[in-house]
Amino acid sequence: MDVIDQLHAVKSGKLDRRAFNRSLLALGISTAVVPLAPRRALAAPEDHATYFTWGGFDIPDYFDEYVAKRGELPNFATFGSVEEAFNKLSSGFVADIAHPCLSDVPRWSSTGMFQPIDTTRLSNWADMIPELWDVPYNVKDGKPWLVPFEWGQTSIAYRTDLFDLQGDESWDMLWDARHSGRLGCLGAGGDVWWCAAIKAGVPFDQIHTDEAFDKISAVLREQRPLIRMYTDDTTSLDTALAAGEIVASMAWNSSVVTLSAQGVPVKFARPKEGALTWVCGMMLHAEAPKLDSAYDVLDSLISEKAAIFNMRDYGYGGVNRKAFAQITDDELAVLGLSRNPVEVLQAGHFGIPQTPEWDQRMTQTWEQIKLGF
Amino acid sequence: MARYIGFHRPNRPLALYAGAFAVFLYLPILFIPLFSFNAGVYVKFPLEGFTLAWYADLFQREPLQRAFWNSVQVAAVVSLSSTVLAVPAAMAIARYRMPGKRAAVSFIMLPLVLPGLILGVALLTVLNGLGVRLSLVTVALGHMVICLPYAISVLLPRFIGFSRSLEEASADLGESPWWTFLRVTLPCNMPGVLACLLMTFTISFDEFFMAFFLSGTEPTLPMYIWSQLRFPQDFPSLLALSTLILVASFAMVFASLKLGRVGLAPAGERR
Amino acid sequence: MTAMALTQRPASVLSRLLHRHEACRGWLLLAPALCLMLVAILFPLGSTLVMSTWSLDGYSVDRTPTLGNYSAMLGQPMFGALIGRSLVVATIATVVTVALCYPMAYFVAFHVHRHKALWLILLTLPFWTSYLLRVFAWKVVLGYEGVLNTALIGLGIVQEPLAALLYSQTAVTLVLAHSWAAFAILPIYVSLEKIDRSYIEAAADLGDGLTRRFWRITFPLSLPGVVAAFFMMFVPTVGDYITPAMVGGPDGMMVGNLIQAMFGPMNNWPAGAALSVVMMLTIGLAGLAFLAVGRLVGR
Repeated sequence: MDVIDQLHAVKSGKLDRRAFNRSLLALGISTAVVPLAPRRALAAPEDHATYFTWGGFDIPDYFDEYVAKRGELPNFATFGSVEEAFNKLSSGFVADIAHPCLSDVPRWSSTGMFQPIDTTRLSNWADMIPELWDVPYNVKDGKPWLVPFEWGQTSIAYRTDLFDLQGDESWDMLWDARHSGRLGCLGAGGDVWWCAAIKAGVPFDQIHTDEAFDKISAVLREQRPLIRMYTDDTTSLDTALAAGEIVASMAWNSSVVTLSAQGVPVKFARPKEGALTWVCGMMLHAEAPKLDSAYDVLDSLISEKAAIFNMRDYGYGGVNRKAFAQITDDELAVLGLSRNPVEVLQAGHFGIPQTPEWDQRMTQTWEQIKLGF
Repeated sequence: MARYIGFHRPNRPLALYAGAFAVFLYLPILFIPLFSFNAGVYVKFPLEGFTLAWYADLFQREPLQRAFWNSVQVAAVVSLSSTVLAVPAAMAIARYRMPGKRAAVSFIMLPLVLPGLILGVALLTVLNGLGVRLSLVTVALGHMVICLPYAISVLLPRFIGFSRSLEEASADLGESPWWTFLRVTLPCNMPGVLACLLMTFTISFDEFFMAFFLSGTEPTLPMYIWSQLRFPQDFPSLLALSTLILVASFAMVFASLKLGRVGLAPAGERR
Repeated sequence: MTAMALTQRPASVLSRLLHRHEACRGWLLLAPALCLMLVAILFPLGSTLVMSTWSLDGYSVDRTPTLGNYSAMLGQPMFGALIGRSLVVATIATVVTVALCYPMAYFVAFHVHRHKALWLILLTLPFWTSYLLRVFAWKVVLGYEGVLNTALIGLGIVQEPLAALLYSQTAVTLVLAHSWAAFAILPIYVSLEKIDRSYIEAAADLGDGLTRRFWRITFPLSLPGVVAAFFMMFVPTVGDYITPAMVGGPDGMMVGNLIQAMFGPMNNWPAGAALSVVMMLTIGLAGLAFLAVGRLVGR
């Protein structure tokens, strides 16, 4: 049988295929033997806290103080959108520190998954800009739920060469029918709804009324046919602006900083009605397994150096007051910031947290408008 | 061995079509290498000058390299293990008459319908309940769940109507069922197995949801790439990495061809 | 494979049972795959079903069973419209892809005599690049000032750039067709490859021409592969949301985007679960309808 088999194999070229099968098998075994378990050359990752954040914040530049103290970087887990991160955490994933935004705090803190932060354990806390965190819903027994890390404004980024600006910069730019089909918008209700309120002239303390709902949805419905894309990722938005796919869009400061650095003629508007201010930062998990290390991570993230990096390289506002002394006026102008950050904060509109029912109704209405209903 | 009527003659229009198809398939892909050499950050025309900076950047980004190797390992393990599970399953579905088969088959195909998000969230909840630590193993497990329906779908058409006379002959000649499987069934169905391996590898290599929900601190490549969307300045080095993946896989394919390992199994002549 | 090994243990009762009953053998072969699926699917499916009967109470969830999520869906035209659009887009994309891939698979199966495996690998290689990067490549091609528009204007075919190329349903269909091409080719190729050439020779001997041979023999015999390809692409495509989100624009959104929004920003998991259940049922029905049609054609 064997001989016949072999002969037959040679005749029909099967031997080569056998060789091929063998090599496949070898490949399989070798890859299967390589262990899939996490591997790290230095100390065990068990020694450090895990920081769950956007890809791009998992870089050594923020952790000089941490590394100086503990010898190496903390662990990272990354996400691309806060909502996915929230889903993963809700399903039981434990990371010592997570990175949402201030507007997420009411919802996130209500889950019981987080603990207020003891600021006496943070050596850099004295340099923190208080206006960034000291809002009622972020404080429990004098301790903040969220420690700010980066902040900025939601306004309009527009191409100075392609957008035909008439009169003052204003939110009307994103409702300009002359540029129909070439306008972009953010996708998150947390930004869009509040900006539309500014455009519709609804004062933020009135935003919970039915009348406000009608006004704001009407404004957003009016805008939808003009919009080419709703997006939440900066890469898509910036690429579209750079390619001239869209000529103006609701955007964050960082977009303008990166685009300008690439030589794209783009400007961050200071709308006459005012822009929307946002703050993001870190929350501490209630069951953080590496609490001491986690506090060192937090301390490192609010250091002067981290704040300078945020402003200079990523185009976000820094949270450490000392950092502002290091930044030139020109750099501040591109960022849409000023030497005294509190000025900007007071000039801008700050979202006011609402009830869960309001949140529910707002996001539902907004998602429906986005989908065209 | 046989002379196929019409098949030994080249079919011009069909060959032309195949060429056009390849162009459609590859044309958008070719922009990836093109822009990986572009000095500008954004993927747009006009190009802004030639640079190798993104490749240099790549070598400094250790997390990105790690993510890549994680993905290769997961994909290799997933493609092998899901094929190993799918071959007997497809054989069983194709050949045996058994009560409740239809229900079982539709059940196995369910992951195709379940949105990735739901599957990811639910599997994470299960694993947490069981106290399993998240690692690449859990990612591989999740990928197997997703890949299995595809693997079976690819293999099924091969096994349906596969003539069993060869297997019977082998059994008659005294071969054990195990050896019959290894020496007759498997080789005869090699095109299907190869297609299955390729498909499951490709799916696992580019899968995001299971990877996101079921991974701990070790990311896979798609996860890493998606998480970078907030920072456009890192985008071009992703293009550079993809270019290297393309070049390396082409090099591997052609090298193995030169070594006479791949492709010398003219499947059509096997019968 | 363990099953195969088991069947050869002589004199065991189990072995004799297995030899006698092909159903047992079949189930045993199916068992490993089925076990994995039972563990991995039953819970997600069950929890989705159960969750779909819950309701929202502030930021928390009220677990009293109710059909409120389903009845709420009936009242709003949005759900029907989105599901309808998803079915249409998925059907068009799938039909186009399968139709375009069939000749390619045929070419590899019948006209490539050496290096078949090489061809298969070459057709799959483009998909070893990240989906996200491919989307950005497509944006360069389809964009307002993109390659295609520039070419069309250069050739004098259009005067103004076509805005509808990108951020539209067209873009969704195109990108879907592209990203599924390799996956559609493989099962079709596998089923074509299997066809016994002697059937075709017999038909030729009986005087059938090329076209007639194809429609009477090759195509019917390759139908299992076509059905597999269709299913494999159609089913996940209906629920896809990443492609519409990336290139669909406001009018290209599909039902997957709404489900995603419900699990994400709207934070209404119960409603998202209910919509998923409806979507799964719809896909199931569409699949059954398709199978019925396929069986009619196969006859």
